[in-house]
Amino acid sequence: MPVDTALGGIAAVSAALMASIAVYGLTSSQNLIRQLLSIEVLFNAVLILVIILFSFNPVNATLFAVTLTAVVSGEVIVIVAVVVSLFRRTRSLESLVLEEEGV
Amino acid sequence: MIEAYKPLMAGLLAAFMVLTSYLVVRSKDLVYASGSLAVLGVLNAALLALLGYGIVAVFLVVVYVGAAVMFIIVAVSMLGGGGPEKWQPEKGAFAAASALTVLLIILLASSLYTAYTQPGSISLRSVSGILVGRYLPVLGVIFVALAATLIEAVAIARKR
Repeated sequence: MPVDTALGGIAAVSAALMASIAVYGLTSSQNLIRQLLSIEVLFNAVLILVIILFSFNPVNATLFAVTLTAVVSGEVIVIVAVVVSLFRRTRSLESLVLEEEGV
Repeated sequence: MIEAYKPLMAGLLAAFMVLTSYLVVRSKDLVYASGSLAVLGVLNAALLALLGYGIVAVFLVVVYVGAAVMFIIVAVSMLGGGGPEKWQPEKGAFAAASALTVLLIILLASSLYTAYTQPGSISLRSVSGILVGRYLPVLGVIFVALAATLIEAVAIARKR
């Protein structure tokens, strides 16, 4: 098997496994921080897939991956700020508590 | 010579990444889970460097692991977990199995992974030249959006 195909296959399968683990964490836990961490695992999987699928043009793949990383870093900061704000109001990180209190 | 060992190293890194992802999702302590996310980011950067995308790898370690994940770790340490977690493992397992099946069908049956080709040398000069030359408006929009996002985050966190 050529090295390119082997590398692409290994990276793609690991990204698929990581994405499924992330979906597991996202749907099985009701803790907001755990859900945020699961979304971050999903981002790591998506980044690998983006690199594989855009690798026909390496410079554009690099630009897209760098932009994606910057935007996700900003998104993380906002989500953590929202979680901190909600924790101050409800003293809980469970998403169901927020639903019960009508937040 | 080293080309022959690349798949082996990629396989090892991929195995560790899957293991670390599981630790992120299933660690009882949220601080350890956040720490595992930092390790996952570094392993991901190592895999990307092995795939030939060194610039992305450096950016991932510096911006994502060094800033975003560290921010999560500090915030989680300060919040302290927020009490016992409620789990619905059956629901999660069903969703994860569905997602894995769909992804593997898409990736393997359509052979999308064969789209990967090892890049030649990608210089920082060529990347920044295209970014500033061809994608300057996009760069400006991202810059403004991120600045607004940070201001929004500060406003939300300060509001009582």
